Amino acid sequence: MSAMLSLEIDSELSNTTLMAMAVRGVCAMTTLSPVETNRLELCLVEIVNNAIEHAYENQAGQKVQVELELDDSLIRLTVSDHGKSIPQESLQPDAEPEVDPEQSDSWLCSGRGLHIVNKLMDAVSYQRIGDRNSFIMEKKLR
Amino acid sequence: MSFEQRQEGEFTVIEVEEARLDASIAESFKTFAFDLIENDKHNLVVNLSQVRFMDSSGLGALVAAFKKLAGNGSFSLAEAQPAVRDLFDLTSMDKLFTVHDSVAEAVKGS
Repeated sequence: MSAMLSLEIDSELSNTTLMAMAVRGVCAMTTLSPVETNRLELCLVEIVNNAIEHAYENQAGQKVQVELELDDSLIRLTVSDHGKSIPQESLQPDAEPEVDPEQSDSWLCSGRGLHIVNKLMDAVSYQRIGDRNSFIMEKKLR
Repeated sequence: MSFEQRQEGEFTVIEVEEARLDASIAESFKTFAFDLIENDKHNLVVNLSQVRFMDSSGLGALVAAFKKLAGNGSFSLAEAQPAVRDLFDLTSMDKLFTVHDSVAEAVKGS
């Protein structure tokens, strides 16, 4: 089996759910467990939100695209925008600081998204071709 | 309205009436919780029973409310669903938050 699905939303955070539900639907066709499906949804949402909030700085009226490629062994999600690129230092963040209940400095309110994605996906890459940024995530199917 | 509050003895229970506590409503949640804290509601329990999905922004809003209390009161969560519990585990937030099985358990002794 090999399939490809292209999705596009306007750059508003309330639209991210549409992407998430569509990808969940595809996940239901695979061998992913419910926990793995939830985690894939989380990673997709983090990267789509990142495009809206950072690439487009929360400006509506721009396009965020997701391409989903599926075969027997892999699901690949490519999230693309035409806004500002993710800075290199953000792509390879330092190790996530240990949460210490005694140290309020460690109670971060933001900046966890990429850590989560790097932790959960099997492969992650980022590219800019022309004015198009693409964040590519892969999850192996077993 | 996405959020409601009710009093259970000394505890203020925030009912999150949304299936998704995500980036689109994280700021609204933060404002709601901050307003309560600024109005001297210092023992908060967040009922997450309806929340099926949370992203890092929703999580950040919970952390912001916890930080706002600055140790002056209590902050706990109740009835976190599997995907939300998984997020807490992945981010080690289970070290920071007390997660009760039910609101009744969270307000026990009130």
